[in-house]
Amino acid sequence: MPGLAPLLLGDGRLPVGAYTYSAGLEPAVAAGLTREHVPALLRARLRTAAVTEAAAAVLALRAAVENPVDYGPVQRALAARTPTAPLREASAALGRGVHRLARRLAPDHPAVTALSAVRPRPLRPVALGALGAVMKVSEEDLAHGVVYDELQTVTSAALKLLPGDPLDTVAWILAAEPDATAAVNEALAVRTPAQLPVRTPLLTEQWALEHARRERRLFLA
Amino acid sequence: MPDQQPRRHHPQPLGRPRALRLGVAGPVGTGKSSVLATLCRELAGELAMAVVTNDIYTDEDARFLRSAGVLPTERIRAVETGACPHTAIRDDVSANLDAVEDLEEEFGPLDLVLVESGGDNLTATFSPALADAQLFCIDVAGGGDVARKGGPGITGADLLIVNKTDLAPHVGVDVDTMVADARSARDGLPVLALSQHDPASIIELADWVRSVLARHRDGTHIPTDPGPMAPHSHAHHDS
Ligand SMILES: Nc1nc2c(ncn2[C@@H]2O[C@H](COP(=O)(O)OP(=O)(O)OP(=O)(O)O)[C@@H](O)[C@H]2O)c(=O)[nH]1
Ligand SMILES: [Mg+2]
Repeated sequence: MPGLAPLLLGDGRLPVGAYTYSAGLEPAVAAGLTREHVPALLRARLRTAAVTEAAAAVLALRAAVENPVDYGPVQRALAARTPTAPLREASAALGRGVHRLARRLAPDHPAVTALSAVRPRPLRPVALGALGAVMKVSEEDLAHGVVYDELQTVTSAALKLLPGDPLDTVAWILAAEPDATAAVNEALAVRTPAQLPVRTPLLTEQWALEHARRERRLFLA
Repeated sequence: MPDQQPRRHHPQPLGRPRALRLGVAGPVGTGKSSVLATLCRELAGELAMAVVTNDIYTDEDARFLRSAGVLPTERIRAVETGACPHTAIRDDVSANLDAVEDLEEEFGPLDLVLVESGGDNLTATFSPALADAQLFCIDVAGGGDVARKGGPGITGADLLIVNKTDLAPHVGVDVDTMVADARSARDGLPVLALSQHDPASIIELADWVRSVLARHRDGTHIPTDPGPMAPHSHAHHDS
């Protein structure tokens, strides 16, 4: 019985501000991506950004249960692998919502107090590592949560940006299962911050930069 | 006397509570941004203020307010709501809290932070997790019946504004009747008939905000939640 915490982690309704994020979909749509490309975008995200995010979250979870807790190495490694400022800023904004939740659940937990020491603000995977420690989820569940959230984020944003039958999005997610499993396994295999894969595709970076300069946006990034 | 309730999660120096967070909600086009501009014009001389806007698209309202020149532009922030303006002020207020906290950090101590909801419909109201008090804006142009239709904002907001009263003769609405309807739906909560062209009403609006701020500071203002739904009521058969 896996308990409720892993389910909560993957729940799009967790009140941490994630609905303001499209995981790169809105910038991609502005660059011409259409509805029939969404499944391909999902697979691409699972082979790239999602692996880095999930691996960083797992590294942060491992750091969160050490004594003393030091998120510095994973935060720096992840920031170095997120060269585009708007993507770092989006990650920090999302991390803030996760941090607020972790503070609400366990303000004095060492994994949470250490988060406040991270400068600049903890990136989302780092905050998720702390939340994972607070909710006592396993590394595998955390990685699964991050990867699943990536799929949910893109597909829910698609309902706003490329409207169509919402039931399609469920089928897209299920079809992405093999890539999701591979992403989780790859993330779990990363042992040190130095091994964190550098995966953000160049086009994603460029679209994110263009998006940040756009005035009429629905989503943060 | 001042009670130090734990809800003041951002204590300010000098033992003063953090800024009053005042939400402004109401249907599209009823004059929310104009009310914000009016409040900035009236109060920015005496109060340290900042503004957060929540548009369907990022920054229309913020741009309107910046161009109105009523507050330094950097004190006006727009929040992305992922096309979920209701969620942003009720179910998940993270993005708005971030913006409010950033403004307090950068420009604090502040006295008053105004948050404009993304114009939507009659059911969108602020959660007390975001707003200490809220005003709800309807206008005569929406029709004299709106006040009677009710909804959580109309019945439960700290102040109900019946806006654009100057237009009443042009749209065949009797302001007194509309205000009376609103009052009877609100169980004693205040109603203000407002127009940009009626200076006395503007003074009343500013005074109301000053009075809420005073109560916020002395700890006697208790944030209430109008809720996401109208209180259950039975059908009226009187019309
Ligand atoms: N005649 C009249 N027009 C007004 C008054 N207040 C606002 N308006 C006009 O009403 C229109 C809408 O005003 P806004 O302040 O933008 O309304 P809003 O509720 O912020 O609109 P959204 O953010 O789009 O929902 C504008 O054209 C304003 O000039 C008023 O007191 N009298
Ligand atoms: Mg407006």
